[in-house]
Amino acid sequence: MGLLSILIFLPLVATLLILALPSSAKATYKYVALGFTFLQFGLSLYLYGNFDATLGGIQQLDAYQFVEQLAWIRMDLGAIGKLEIDYLIGVDGISLPLIVLSTLVMLMGVGASWNIDKSPKGYFALLMILNTAVMGIFSALDFFLFYVFYEIMLLPLYFLIGIWGGERREYAAIKFFIYTLLGSVLMLLVIVGLYFSVINPATGAHTFNMLHMMNPANYVDGSFFAYIANYHEVFGIPARLIGFIVLFFAFAIKVPIVPLHTWLPDAHVEAPTPVSIILAGILLKIGGYGIIRVCYSIFPDIAADTNWWLALIGVISILYGALNALAQKDLKRMIAYSSVSHMGFVLLGIASLTAEGVSGAIFQMVSHGFLSAALFFLVGVLYDRVHDRYIYNFRGLASLTPKYTAYVAIAFFASLGLPGFSAFIGEAFVIIGAFNAESMATGVPRWMAIGGSIGILLSAAYFLWTLQRMFFGQTRLKGGLAWQEALTDLNTREQVILFPALALALLLGIMPSLIFSNLNASVIQLIDLIKPYL
Amino acid sequence: MLFPLLAFIIQALLGKKAISGNIALTAILASTIISLFGVFLPVWNETTVLKKWEWFTIGEHTLYVGILVNNLTALMQLVVCIIALPVHIYSRAYMKGDSGIHRYWMYLSLFCFAMLGLTVSLNLLQLYIFWELVGFASYLLIGFWFTKETAVQANKKAFLINRIGDIGFLIGVALVYAHCGTLDLSALFGQTGTFFKGVDIGIIPALDKNTSWVTFAGLAFFLGAMAKSAQFPLHIWLPDAMEGPTSVSSLIHAATMVAAGVFLLCTVFPLFNETVLLVITIIGTITALSAALFALGQYDIKKVLAFSTISQLGFMIVGVGIGAWDAAMFHLTTHAFFKCLLFLCAGAVIHEMAHLKTKIQLDFDPQDLRNMGGLRRFMPKTYTCMVIASLSLAGFPFTSGYLSKDSIVITTYEWANHLGGAYVLIPVVLIIVSLLTAFYIGRIIFKTFFGSFKYRTYIKADMTFHEASKTMLIPMFVLAAGSLFPFFGPSPADYHRSWIMLILDTDSTYPSLAQAHVFIPALLTAGAVLMWLIGWNWYIKQKYPLSENNILVRFANKQGYLNEFNERIFVKGTVELSRILYAFDRHVVDGLTKLFSWFIRRFSVIVYWFDKHIVDGLVNLFAHATYYIGHLVRHVQNGQLQAYLGFALTIVVLGILYLLIK
Repeated sequence: MGLLSILIFLPLVATLLILALPSSAKATYKYVALGFTFLQFGLSLYLYGNFDATLGGIQQLDAYQFVEQLAWIRMDLGAIGKLEIDYLIGVDGISLPLIVLSTLVMLMGVGASWNIDKSPKGYFALLMILNTAVMGIFSALDFFLFYVFYEIMLLPLYFLIGIWGGERREYAAIKFFIYTLLGSVLMLLVIVGLYFSVINPATGAHTFNMLHMMNPANYVDGSFFAYIANYHEVFGIPARLIGFIVLFFAFAIKVPIVPLHTWLPDAHVEAPTPVSIILAGILLKIGGYGIIRVCYSIFPDIAADTNWWLALIGVISILYGALNALAQKDLKRMIAYSSVSHMGFVLLGIASLTAEGVSGAIFQMVSHGFLSAALFFLVGVLYDRVHDRYIYNFRGLASLTPKYTAYVAIAFFASLGLPGFSAFIGEAFVIIGAFNAESMATGVPRWMAIGGSIGILLSAAYFLWTLQRMFFGQTRLKGGLAWQEALTDLNTREQVILFPALALALLLGIMPSLIFSNLNASVIQLIDLIKPYL
Repeated sequence: MLFPLLAFIIQALLGKKAISGNIALTAILASTIISLFGVFLPVWNETTVLKKWEWFTIGEHTLYVGILVNNLTALMQLVVCIIALPVHIYSRAYMKGDSGIHRYWMYLSLFCFAMLGLTVSLNLLQLYIFWELVGFASYLLIGFWFTKETAVQANKKAFLINRIGDIGFLIGVALVYAHCGTLDLSALFGQTGTFFKGVDIGIIPALDKNTSWVTFAGLAFFLGAMAKSAQFPLHIWLPDAMEGPTSVSSLIHAATMVAAGVFLLCTVFPLFNETVLLVITIIGTITALSAALFALGQYDIKKVLAFSTISQLGFMIVGVGIGAWDAAMFHLTTHAFFKCLLFLCAGAVIHEMAHLKTKIQLDFDPQDLRNMGGLRRFMPKTYTCMVIASLSLAGFPFTSGYLSKDSIVITTYEWANHLGGAYVLIPVVLIIVSLLTAFYIGRIIFKTFFGSFKYRTYIKADMTFHEASKTMLIPMFVLAAGSLFPFFGPSPADYHRSWIMLILDTDSTYPSLAQAHVFIPALLTAGAVLMWLIGWNWYIKQKYPLSENNILVRFANKQGYLNEFNERIFVKGTVELSRILYAFDRHVVDGLTKLFSWFIRRFSVIVYWFDKHIVDGLVNLFAHATYYIGHLVRHVQNGQLQAYLGFALTIVVLGILYLLIK
């Protein structure tokens, strides 16, 4: 069993352990979860340390690292051919940063669930299942395996929101579940279509292997998704375009893009703090990752055709999300909308199809991962104390809780893209990449880049406005003295969780090479894959 | 350069314990010494120092960080250090006893680090990073008294307006990167760089400077400079920024940070083509004029100075616009000294006024000019310093301001004379502005130091209104010395001979006019004296001709209603738009989702009905039919033999009939 498998299934062991422990040992659940996530974090750091940055990955299996390949399901289906599903996992420059990010955010998530007392057994068990699913998604290279992990992920999330959430938790949970399921069910159709179009050149059997799907030579002539010899059309629309759109739809719900984003504010507002952290920190990244790994790598021809539209969606998401965030009066909802805006940068960067833009987009995903986690955690801190997060109910918190204010201010400024913090690098390179797109003739016009940069201005507006409304000025609280007493400053546990996230934002802002150097070979390879179709 | 960063980190770690400011002071002292002896003297007019380290690689391009020290940057970083040092000393006395002083020193060190980093940046991206960081430090310092509502509003406004400029800057950076593939300043704008005379140096092909993207990039960079250097109409943040401590205003919002825009323009100067330069000149002129007019109508001493700063920045921008960026840098340097000094003097006055206010427990605004008067008897040394600075600002002979301001005005005149036509308007406006400058600075002096003090009666033996303390005065003396001509050149009248102009010398494309060197200074000096006479008459002899509610005075006092306009159109507009979009999001976008789910549920009800009545109905129908047939046939099975036989016969007959028909 390889390192990557251990990384994936470690949390599952934790789940079993938690389930096996008697409920008298209730207090130990969180320590078990913490211990395992910590171990996992260490493992991911080990992977990071032993990663060879010169290898590209993307469509070449031998350039992937920590690869494990086992025959999983083999079935002779007679006339249709042989069914070939592998347990194939591996890591390249695009998945590596996201894996490290996920383990870190999981760690923060477990830290934030310290005070969960509503049936902790189920809670931590579900959290660990979620953990396994996420790791699986980021390392799976077999589409079937990917899909399995993708579906497994939904289940614990549904229960985590539906049981441990706020007042309207059932509504939010079902909305989230249905939305995501809608995307993934359609995805299944395309997966099957791809399966029947692609054969493994070595065995001649149809395969779910994603890497084989990325090579146009593996497509059977005349098959549904083939694109060298023939283009299939359904009602006059190329089949590959439909396949691309369906897959994009599935991942776009996750990102989320406007107008498929409405599950996000509801889910965030109703979810408990740790789940918000994981939602924003990891799950949104699955959308961006999916677009790169699946949509762009398997359908490079369509990617080159549609990037104008994708960039447009990205810009709309940036501006629309930012303006909506400006209108919010609930702090958590504001941050949820800011996520929509920041993830719009990811889409814009990916769609620019330049090395700068794509690298910037991945960097932005990582950076947004722990920054939004930190932001949601900070909201959770406030909510824990007074059970309110309505912006106008607070004023002048800076005099009352200086440490908390300092952390909030740092997190806000880091998120609005102050240089020195990671979000700046991500956003700046997305913008630079989008500008570069015209020189590279990838079809993204300059006005979109300018539109994106206005999003940077708006993000400064809503963050600073919030800072001014809630933290500065004379102290005035809606709850009066009772609140004043309840609003204690950050305790050590909270600082221990927040400090690494913000320190990391600073570190990556000063030394972006920590991510870029591992990323670069893969990104160049991806661009090279798409370039012939431009 | 790294010293202030170190100081910032140490102070951030120490938190509340670091109140004396010794760390920050030591750091800036060390920086100043190094910058003078280690950087400035070896580099000035000698070689360019360039050090770089690889930062990261993205795509096929590698970005570096490092230091670039040439004449321009060496001068700029020296100015920053030399101004920052006295301000640090001054702050020790000025900020003494403030409860947030540990934050003050921390922010101040951060600012110094960012500002020094900005001056010696290697490439445009690094420049941009420090550019935003100085804005951030300025945000922190403007909002230093964060419980004060106006201060918090002001710092938000400052940051947001600067962000507009930052976006311009970023777009410029992106455009240059997209077209040239590098951001290295020396490769782009150095003597052999891409933009300098359009030389082809191999890697990067020669450029046609008149292509539209160059114009765009130039305008984008200028937008960045406009926000930072408070050019019309993005100047509105600077007067509000006066909410910060006065020492901060003197360092950041008068001498160094606001000049960063001018510095940027000088750095990227080779990029600009004719169109952009003309825009720069026009905006600079409008700024100089409008700010001078607004300065006339202000009552807050700091706001007058703020508008004066804006107006002088307008001069510098004009200097860049006409291609004389050496003159702009010269004015930047001299302006840094005398404007900083003006603010420090004003700070000393405000400090004493505020003391008086707490002592006599009266509620008045310690910054309001109307409350001051006759202070020269109480604060003679401050008075002397302020007069020197004012003379320098007004461009009186023997001061440094005389040299630098004349250099801009005269060059502009030569430039306009060369081009002819409507261009002559620009030097004319600048001359008018110079006269206005003399008038408003005279107004400050007269109102503050002459006449009678409004609260004179309160001053008794035990309630003295005294001179500023030594720690405040010494920095002021130093700066006062720097506001006089010998500091900059051997000749009190000829700016060409000042050392800055000798080295930075740019080639002008227009002939110099000997007579302009005579009549313009004469005109300016005579005009200034005339203005002071009028001011003396108006303010000291109480022959003020205008009423306070005069429409022009109100217009100037309200800063041309630009703030209100901005508030109503842009701020309200954006907030309103966001509200509408949120309503749209909730009702339309989410509404669609809900409609969809409602539709699905309805549909499922229909399907269920179909299932129950049609599908299940069919099944039931079948069952019922079977049952009914069985029911019919059951009658045969009644145990009577004849019935069985009859049934059998019927079947047989039916069988035979079937066979027959077939």
